[in-house]
Amino acid sequence: MEGLSFEAVPGEIFGLIGPNGAGKTTTIRMIMNIIVPDSGIIRFNGAPLSEADKDHIGYLPEERGLYRKAKLGEVLEYLAAIKGAKANEYRLSINAWLERFGLSEWKNRKISDLSKGMAQKAQFIATVAHNPSVVLFDEPFSGLDPMAQDDLLSVMVELKHKGAIVLFSTHIMEHAEKICEKILLMNKGKAIVYGSMADIKAQYGRNAVQLEFDGDASFVQSLDFVDSVVSYPRWIEVELKEGTDSDLLFKALAGRLKVRRFETVAPSLHKIFIHLVGGEEIENG
Amino acid sequence: MGKLKHIIRHEFRLTTANKAFVILTIIGPFLIFAITVLPTLLAQSSSPVASDKPLALFGAPPRVEQAISAAFSGMKLQVEHVEDIEAAKASVIDGSRVALLELEAGWPDTGKAIWYSKSSAEIGLYSTASAVLEAVAREERIRESGIDPALAAKLLSKPTFEVIKLEKGGEEKAQGQGDQAFLETLMTVLVFIMLLYMTILLYGQMIGRSVVTEKTSKTVEIMLSSVTSRDLMIGKILGLGLAGMLQYAVWISMAFVLNHFLGPLFGLALPVAVSMQNMMWLFVFFILGFFLYSSAYAALGAASEDEQHLGQIAWPLLMFLIIPMVMLNTLVTSPDSTAVVIMSFFPLTSPIVMLSRILVASPPVWHLVLCIGILVASIVGMMVFAGKVFRVGILMTGKRPKLKEVLRWVKVK
Repeated sequence: MEGLSFEAVPGEIFGLIGPNGAGKTTTIRMIMNIIVPDSGIIRFNGAPLSEADKDHIGYLPEERGLYRKAKLGEVLEYLAAIKGAKANEYRLSINAWLERFGLSEWKNRKISDLSKGMAQKAQFIATVAHNPSVVLFDEPFSGLDPMAQDDLLSVMVELKHKGAIVLFSTHIMEHAEKICEKILLMNKGKAIVYGSMADIKAQYGRNAVQLEFDGDASFVQSLDFVDSVVSYPRWIEVELKEGTDSDLLFKALAGRLKVRRFETVAPSLHKIFIHLVGGEEIENG
Repeated sequence: MGKLKHIIRHEFRLTTANKAFVILTIIGPFLIFAITVLPTLLAQSSSPVASDKPLALFGAPPRVEQAISAAFSGMKLQVEHVEDIEAAKASVIDGSRVALLELEAGWPDTGKAIWYSKSSAEIGLYSTASAVLEAVAREERIRESGIDPALAAKLLSKPTFEVIKLEKGGEEKAQGQGDQAFLETLMTVLVFIMLLYMTILLYGQMIGRSVVTEKTSKTVEIMLSSVTSRDLMIGKILGLGLAGMLQYAVWISMAFVLNHFLGPLFGLALPVAVSMQNMMWLFVFFILGFFLYSSAYAALGAASEDEQHLGQIAWPLLMFLIIPMVMLNTLVTSPDSTAVVIMSFFPLTSPIVMLSRILVASPPVWHLVLCIGILVASIVGMMVFAGKVFRVGILMTGKRPKLKEVLRWVKVK
């Protein structure tokens, strides 16, 4: 990790984005003071982060689990209690969350009896039961089915509206693109881009085209006005060289592909990342 | 401090809800009672022989018959004089008489006494008969040789033999009589150090497992986002330690109840060595041993990958617990030998060895002070070491660290 600097403000969903091994988890662990940085400082409300400040943070680690032999309600209350929350407050909050996720009947059952999906929900509850003003989710969407992803997303938006800072990490750029207002794109422990999503998109121009088609689009890569391509069998995103009109591409395609959709767009985060990292191999989720 | 309290309470609740804990807590005192009282019970059980069937007696002169009848009537056994030896044998076989005692003509000098029975299991019965015959024969011979029976009784009376353990401050403690005293002491030492060994081992392993579970259940990061690793480790140790103290409190109060109420009720006394004072020593050495071993196990738990791995790397530590158990005989018979004294200072063996020394001998006060001093210092050192290993190790998952690596963790600032 080197030269990393960023800031998240209340009411903001902040994305920490990068491929596996970029240093996202390490960054979050440093925020939680689980790992101590060699140098640098983490500030909370303007002052260096203290042990006590961690009580205001909810943390969902990437490697997550709950004591399997204990009862769900007891574990949730215990985890809220060690965050310094008041018993009467966290009990109400836990009951409300259990109700919302349909886990009320499971409160007195052992964690080991819960299905995987239920356990994931229980872990979200454990993260937010003490009403934190900051929540850190490390790869929150990994391993979730689409329904659970929607649930989580709605929780994140709700927390944002309540004025919390929602910071999450992901290696799936598409997720970040849809959710985040501000991002830090990182690779190999270094920041690549940092700023609001709107600014970043504007900065990297509107000179990309997304194509849906039938046929073989491999020739697009070799067109002289094309800068780079992200390609899938039936879908490609083409980054055009500066000053190139997208019409030129459209004409070049005529007769060679059956085009189903042709759309000029801001480049995807994925595209920006590849552009900035210089086409290095990255994982595609 | 508030958070530590929650961790302690959580660990305490998890431990006391465990079945093994409940079972051991309940069985423990009965184990002490059973094993320590067993020798007394065995010693008593040889005298009362009761049978509703009579004992057949053949060929005994009237005076001998009278003596035997008198001896057995105290045991509620009827003695029948028979004339037909063959019929008497048949009655023993068909079970209407318990046994047949034949005195040959000329007994006790030229004839034998013969015991006929269906099984040789009535050891109480025939050993009593043999003792009675011996006494009768002795009296007969004394009478025949013309010695005054009163003088003979005086000459033959058994001198009293008592065993007294000298305590510091000139206190004297009756230990019962002869062999039984030794047996009782041995049994008490055995039970006490078995309890100490079992509880230290059990609680140490529980700590180790509890730490590994944080890793395997992947809760450790959630925990560390709320509390420091120091609080987590100390909370675990204190939580389980409290559970252990509760267990000992139950045992000691049950022993107290047994000794003061149930014991007299059934006419059984606990061996003298099971005194409140010795119970307190057991408690003290449990606490000291517990803190030393549990912090060592916390470090081992943090350095291991899963429970299986923990079992593998814990054996060198286990050795130190087992050595005193293997040397039990030496501990009891030569409590002041150099090897035993040294072991009673070495912190990993001293809780068990010093406890046994206290039970069988009276070690000098400075030995006790030195032993406890070394233990306390070792506990502090072990806690600091374990805290460092714990802090780094608890986050290491998916690989088995080498000893060299673990030692490097200790140096991490």
